[in-house]
Amino acid sequence: MTELHFTDVQRDCLQELVNVAMGQASDKLARYLGTFVHLQVPAIALVEAALLSQHFASRYQQQSATLVSLGFFGDQGLRGETIMLYQLANVGVIAQLLGYSDDAVSEAEMLTDISSVLTTTFLSGLAEQLENSFSYAAPRILSSRDKDFADKLAYTAEQWQLALQVDIRYQLTDYSFNCDMILLIPGEAVLRLRQTLDNILADF
Amino acid sequence: MALTALICDDSLLARNQLKKSLPSAFDADIITASNGVEALTILRSREVGLVFLDLTMPELDGVGVLEAIKADAMDCLVIVVSADIQPEMQKRVMELGALAFVQKPATADKLADVMHKYGLI
Repeated sequence: MTELHFTDVQRDCLQELVNVAMGQASDKLARYLGTFVHLQVPAIALVEAALLSQHFASRYQQQSATLVSLGFFGDQGLRGETIMLYQLANVGVIAQLLGYSDDAVSEAEMLTDISSVLTTTFLSGLAEQLENSFSYAAPRILSSRDKDFADKLAYTAEQWQLALQVDIRYQLTDYSFNCDMILLIPGEAVLRLRQTLDNILADF
Repeated sequence: MALTALICDDSLLARNQLKKSLPSAFDADIITASNGVEALTILRSREVGLVFLDLTMPELDGVGVLEAIKADAMDCLVIVVSADIQPEMQKRVMELGALAFVQKPATADKLADVMHKYGLI
């Protein structure tokens, strides 16, 4: 079992790297949607992957959600998977805004597209700061309009040890659009990540 | 007498990064604040010539600080250093009186460029 603990200083460092990467992703999303995105400080939390589905099951209890997954692979064993969770309440409005037609196939296509914009921009920004570079698998939908999504999340999460949970609240100008992003990474990548953070901290 | 410069950012890493990346030719006393409320308390109690201001912060964000500086007609220059790089945000902070916008992470090159441009070094 890998020790998952991060010191306060390592955590602050990771939070700032996430902020910078998130800023780049928000800018991309804003351009993609043709609107302004109010950026909040994304709350990050490091949790054991095994406990993840419990957490999200309670948050998404009252609604159905779509999960989109994207795998990434970097140098020196840094790899993992991101999962975007979308609440579906506002999906129709965004589909209209982007000119997707109003059916389930288009909805899936749109969420895959948005996920791709958000996660690849976010991950590229993060990789750059970590002096790494990632390649990506094609995004795939794990679950759509599915009330049992917690099971699917649990199944995916159990392949990894650590989850970096990044709580993203996107508030667009005219309506709210909430999604959560989860970064899942294996134990050896946790060690690599901590070492990289220490290297960055040693520079300042 | 050396100028006093305030670095306002909620992240310790970002504050240290910025402090270390300042041009050596920049002769100033550096002080720090970790949110907008702290920054305003400092700005109202002592003379600060230049502020490096983050935007996305708890308590009071950078836009709030700029609004207060403008409302109180405080005599300090502000360089915004932010990860929120949307054109509309950049336009907004410039309208609120910021001198310049630097995209995070603030590197020595970027800071030297902008500080040279405005005669700060």
